Amino acid sequence: MRKGVLALIVVLGAAFAAPRLSGRPAREELRGRLSVSGAWALYPLAIKWAEEFQRLHPGVRIDIQAGGAGKGVADVLGGAVDIGMASREISPAEREKGAVAVAVAKDAVVATLNPKNPFLDDLRRRGLRKEDLVRIWITQTARTWGALVGRTDGAAIHVYTRSDACGAAETWAAYLGRRQEDLAGVGVYGDPGLAEAVKRDPLGIGYNNISFAYDLKTNKPVDGLAICPLDLNGNGRLDPEERIYDTRSDLIRAIAANVYPSPPARDLYFVMRGRPGGSPLVEFMKWVLTDGQKYVTEMGYLPLGPERTARSLALVGGPGAGRK
Amino acid sequence: MTPRRCRENLAARKRVEAFFKCLMVLSTALVIASLLLIVGTIVWKGFPALSLSMITRTPRGGFYIGKEGGILNAIVGSLDLAFGATALAFLLSLPLALYLNVYQSRGSKTAAGTRFFLDVLWGVPSIVYGAFGFLTMMFFGLRASLLAGILTVALIEFPIMTRAMDEVVRLVPRELREASASLGATRFETAVRVVIRQCLPGLLTAVLMAFGRGIGDAASVLFTAGFTDRVPASLLDPAATLPLAIFFQLGTPLPEVQQRAYASAVVLTLVILAVSVGGRMIMRRFTRHVVK
Amino acid sequence: MRLFKDALARRGMSVLAVLPGLLVLFIVLGLFLKSRAVLAVQPLARVLFGSSWHPLHGSFGLFPFIMGTVWVTVTALLLAVPVSILTAIYLSEFAPRFVREFARPIVDLLAGLPSVVYGLWGVLLIVPFVGRWLAPLFGVASTGYSVLAGGMVLAVMIFPTIIHVSLEVFASIPFSLREASFSLGATRWETARCVVLRKGTPGILAASVLGFSRAFGETMAVLMVAGNVPAAPTSLFDPGYPLPALIANNYGEMMSVPLYDSALMLAALVLLAVVLFFNVLARRILIRVERRVR
Repeated sequence: MRKGVLALIVVLGAAFAAPRLSGRPAREELRGRLSVSGAWALYPLAIKWAEEFQRLHPGVRIDIQAGGAGKGVADVLGGAVDIGMASREISPAEREKGAVAVAVAKDAVVATLNPKNPFLDDLRRRGLRKEDLVRIWITQTARTWGALVGRTDGAAIHVYTRSDACGAAETWAAYLGRRQEDLAGVGVYGDPGLAEAVKRDPLGIGYNNISFAYDLKTNKPVDGLAICPLDLNGNGRLDPEERIYDTRSDLIRAIAANVYPSPPARDLYFVMRGRPGGSPLVEFMKWVLTDGQKYVTEMGYLPLGPERTARSLALVGGPGAGRK
Repeated sequence: MTPRRCRENLAARKRVEAFFKCLMVLSTALVIASLLLIVGTIVWKGFPALSLSMITRTPRGGFYIGKEGGILNAIVGSLDLAFGATALAFLLSLPLALYLNVYQSRGSKTAAGTRFFLDVLWGVPSIVYGAFGFLTMMFFGLRASLLAGILTVALIEFPIMTRAMDEVVRLVPRELREASASLGATRFETAVRVVIRQCLPGLLTAVLMAFGRGIGDAASVLFTAGFTDRVPASLLDPAATLPLAIFFQLGTPLPEVQQRAYASAVVLTLVILAVSVGGRMIMRRFTRHVVK
Repeated sequence: MRLFKDALARRGMSVLAVLPGLLVLFIVLGLFLKSRAVLAVQPLARVLFGSSWHPLHGSFGLFPFIMGTVWVTVTALLLAVPVSILTAIYLSEFAPRFVREFARPIVDLLAGLPSVVYGLWGVLLIVPFVGRWLAPLFGVASTGYSVLAGGMVLAVMIFPTIIHVSLEVFASIPFSLREASFSLGATRWETARCVVLRKGTPGILAASVLGFSRAFGETMAVLMVAGNVPAAPTSLFDPGYPLPALIANNYGEMMSVPLYDSALMLAALVLLAVVLFFNVLARRILIRVERRVR
């Protein structure tokens, strides 16, 4: 009986070990492992880049995890990953710990509403001004939807924000002149989570990266979400040039033309610890900033433009004193 | 007391009893209903999501947003992690449980002290293990990986397994051990040949129980095991786990991604139920062969 | 040769006996060393009782989170203890055999369910229930992500803990006491109340304390339903932000903000201290109960 149990354990162990030992890839010119974690904003783009890069170099394995910009920077500075994705500027404290941010693309954060919101038409006609947003998320002096659109209706505003440390919240807060911790609202984990919370709550308002607010295939807002237009010139109504939210391409164009301000539009960074060194990290970074850039618009982001891309390349290329 | 007062009194007391009995039945019903409700919700949401392709493919296009693929990454990751952690904990728990009972006399200070610290470890919340694991990982420069997850979950399983084994080994009657000693066996031989055989079903149940706990724990692997779209190919790769698959993929507006969360929930619940029921069956079946 | 193996085994195993103590030491020490940084800047009292959580301004008041944890845990206990004790008494004193055989495995199964599954159930059922049914019933506007939702989910999680321990306590009370009560003409309920409950009070207390510890340290389920708003709750329908959720949500910021990692480790240390204190207390009571009855 004991021998039988022992035999069973050996067989099970072999069954698990076998896949690990076999299946070594044939000799390729580029091999190695990269791990990436961080901002949800960059996640879809990073996935695309990783897929394409791995197609060119099957010997390289890239693992990508989201978790928020805060996690990305913490992980890369702690040595847990090779690249941290950040959807915000890195702080001086982070720079002091050795963080090097390489800009790779640009996107934006938008305010989100539920299409079943009874005040949607009013909001679409007027838009929300920055002061309104501050009253919702910072001072919390706007408690009912009626107050926002000039009616006496008592339906409460259900405010949502991000519970994880992330760039979207930092960027949104920066637009309102504060920091993430000053944002009020029920904290939900993750960008998809916030979108889902607003989708479930007709009286909800939140904010999302455009990658999660818009459906990549249809180019329109995700089923079950409506984009809350911003009254950018503050005149109390939505002018034709402020109607930029129908499709993702419209919004991207508006961002490129600086119609949609930055923030809440912002640069997206790959953060490394120290100057990037060692392959495949350097190869990957170089590819992202050259061939990889053609996927940027395809995935619905804003390319940086040749000048900034060149500056990023300079950070990556050249003899690096990397960790490896 | 007059016979009538006596009867009235009894009737009143019986009414009180009936009232409380009603409350108690309701309470019990509530507890049972809760379990049925939870499992029912999981099955209701998850069964439609389960399919052969769901459990044999990894997610494509990124597990947060990719619309195709399944949860193979989490299934294999969780199994690898739980098996590894349980094996590691077993290597530590069994000798310790045997030591406490065979080598140490009943009232010994060492045994009492060790048991006290085991109790302490048992009570530590898993998020604290996760935080401690993360600190240790950073200290040693280890990345978020299967190995880090195994070590952390082994930490959680260790006190649970040891305690359960301790209780079982304690039940072995002294006479059996004394008989073995009188035949000239060393304590080691007694431990291995006699005690283990005697409480084998209990030991197995302890292992299964710890396994069930380890595979279901999310807070400990949140910081330590990472997450990925793929099946881990080595100990140093990040590993997806079923609990985190549920957590990360649940709150998304994409139904295809949510489906993966529900499927993970069903698979995880089924595994745990199977382990729990299996443990019970082992206890019942094999206790027959054990000397009383 | 056999003696040598024995001696070797003994040496090896005795090393293991030190392991639990060492582990506890390492965990406490590790967390404490990491916490020193934030304590150097802010006195412990202000960290524990300060309401201002603004890490970017260097202000680390854990009070809202401690209150969040307390609110959720107390709610859970208030919901779970009566139900669990009533169930335990029923199963122990009143229920016909088949009900008992049926109910015990179910209680154990509840104990084995992972907390994410509870969280999933909470998000799917409890949060909408609180937000769309209960809150309007009381005239309060709530999204459903609240202390109450967290308490309800936690209550179901700790049912098995309290029931299991209570059942053991009741089983350890010698039947002769009950017989004596019956012979005096008491009804089963009166026996249950005067004999079992009274004798079992320390045990029930210990079971509740264990339930409290379990609820206090629970992370995932509460994180998904409690709302995560860093302000001390003022009503059941307010969102809350328990300590474990704080650690889980924000470990990502640890490197970015100075002292944040230290503050989070301090939060973990506080959590550990509370949970351990109550856990050990409960265990001591239980051991004494066992010893007295045996």
